[in-house]
Amino acid sequence: MKMLEGIGITHRFGGLMAVDNAEFHVEQGEIVGLIGPNGAGKTTLFNIVSGAIKPTSGRILFKGEEVTGMKPHLICHRGMARTFQTTKLFTSMSAFENVRLALLFGNPERKIGRKEAEKEINQLFAVMGMLSDRNKPVKDMSLALQKRLEIVRALATNPQLLLLDEVMSGLTAKELSQSMQLISQLRNRGITIFMIEHVMHAIMGVCDRVIVFHYGSKIADGTPSDVAKDPTVNTVYLGK
Amino acid sequence: MLISTIFSKRKFVLSMIVLSVLLLAIAPLFTPPYVTISLITILMYVILTLSWTMFSGPTNYISLATAALFGVGVYSSAVLKDSLPLVLIVIISGLLSFILALLIGLLTLRLKGVYFILFTFGVTALIRNAIQWWEIHFTLTVGRHVSGPGNETVYTYLVIIYSLTLIFMFLLQNSSYGMALQGIGENEDAAEHIGIDVTRLKVLTFAVSAIFMGAAGAVMATRWRYIDPTIAFNPLLSFLPVLMAIFGGTSMLGGPILGAVIFTLLQQYLITEYPYLYMLLMGLTLVIVILYLPGGLLVLVMKLYIRLVIQWAKTKFQWQMLKTRWQETWRPRVSMALAQWRLRMGWRLGRKRS
Repeated sequence: MKMLEGIGITHRFGGLMAVDNAEFHVEQGEIVGLIGPNGAGKTTLFNIVSGAIKPTSGRILFKGEEVTGMKPHLICHRGMARTFQTTKLFTSMSAFENVRLALLFGNPERKIGRKEAEKEINQLFAVMGMLSDRNKPVKDMSLALQKRLEIVRALATNPQLLLLDEVMSGLTAKELSQSMQLISQLRNRGITIFMIEHVMHAIMGVCDRVIVFHYGSKIADGTPSDVAKDPTVNTVYLGK
Repeated sequence: MLISTIFSKRKFVLSMIVLSVLLLAIAPLFTPPYVTISLITILMYVILTLSWTMFSGPTNYISLATAALFGVGVYSSAVLKDSLPLVLIVIISGLLSFILALLIGLLTLRLKGVYFILFTFGVTALIRNAIQWWEIHFTLTVGRHVSGPGNETVYTYLVIIYSLTLIFMFLLQNSSYGMALQGIGENEDAAEHIGIDVTRLKVLTFAVSAIFMGAAGAVMATRWRYIDPTIAFNPLLSFLPVLMAIFGGTSMLGGPILGAVIFTLLQQYLITEYPYLYMLLMGLTLVIVILYLPGGLLVLVMKLYIRLVIQWAKTKFQWQMLKTRWQETWRPRVSMALAQWRLRMGWRLGRKRS
């Protein structure tokens, strides 16, 4: 089953074609990487998929249903969550409160009691290995922790599809391998992952499939090793 | 962290709310009438500041529509005068302000930052001028007279509105919606993406906060007796609550109240004592507060309180130290010396006696 499908997506910022007639899909249970040089339109594509901006034209199907131009909170309620390239956390709150807010508002059909919420949040923190950091104020956290907290917060909305926007950039080698493990773990929990990443090592390690973007359109799509051998991809990244 | 944990304890806040309402309720029994009159002015500003903070505090959307929402209350009270009992007039005025705020909200809350501020200010001017135009062309007057039920009644109504505002705000701040509003203020994109219906929450909070402004306006019309568009929609009524809230601090419930009370008292004092320098001194005070007390007056009060608590604990500890030192080192020595002295004296006395 196709978890996410984009049909002929085009987005223009004035005269700039940020996304140009992009076609892509993500199967259920897959980890798909989205790569491309800076300014290729990757984050714009994520913004379109998550509802932050409305595409100039084209359609987005999520679990086979049209979600084009729908408001972000409704898309979130349908089971899609995302993280941001530059972390967007509620900085004056503690990590716990960040996640609590997501748990309470991300699951509108559930009525969650205080105790139950606390238990669930602690579980989420435990999964991401940051149980001891849960009462820290966000502004005292390292970038690696903040990025991980964004994932915890996204998970609290109980998503089936998780969009990760450069969660691994700026991490140390140790943090990187931890993050890669975590992402595989998330897949084992039944969550489909669509991720933008610049760290090639990570992409090759965890992704089932890689989509390459250049100037707003898809230039390659396949397994990491196939894409690595693709002549157009090599030209884009390395020049002739 | 420490400061806010002490002062945001629910029981503490709740008991302070009850205490303030009780004090206000019995105040007229023990104070001369002019105190009631000045309390009316203070209460009006407290209600406006509180309800302004209700929406603008957590979300950081600075609204300058307070005068419009208040003025609508004033005008509906003036138009409905005597045709209905005052309770109904106050309720209807609140609802009219609610509807107006709903419309303003739906129009403007897509705007952010300075555009929102300007638009709300513009709306206020538009409504003021529209009413003025209507009055001149259709009712052929500029102002309206309102019959007044007396200062005691006005005061009672304001105390009731004040307590309702406070209770609503307390409930809001302690609910998940209060936290969501805070989230919107800190990062609206993130709030949207974790499933918060940002537009609805903003518009509804803005509209509910307007109920209290409108109700206060309706009551104040009966206090003023005569109103016209420049009184009802006075731009100062938009600016002052913002300043008062910043003055007192918006992060806690007590901030806007403290800010409004002290600001109003200061204003009244400065107007009577230094009528020509009043604006200058007012501005100076504000600049000082914003520069040196970014959290507002309440934070200062709390810091002082905590210093007091710490000082008290320190004094207690030092006293205890003195006591133990006396008990452990000096008392044995003193009693030893005494005993020796007594012995020696006894020996001397004994020798003498023999």
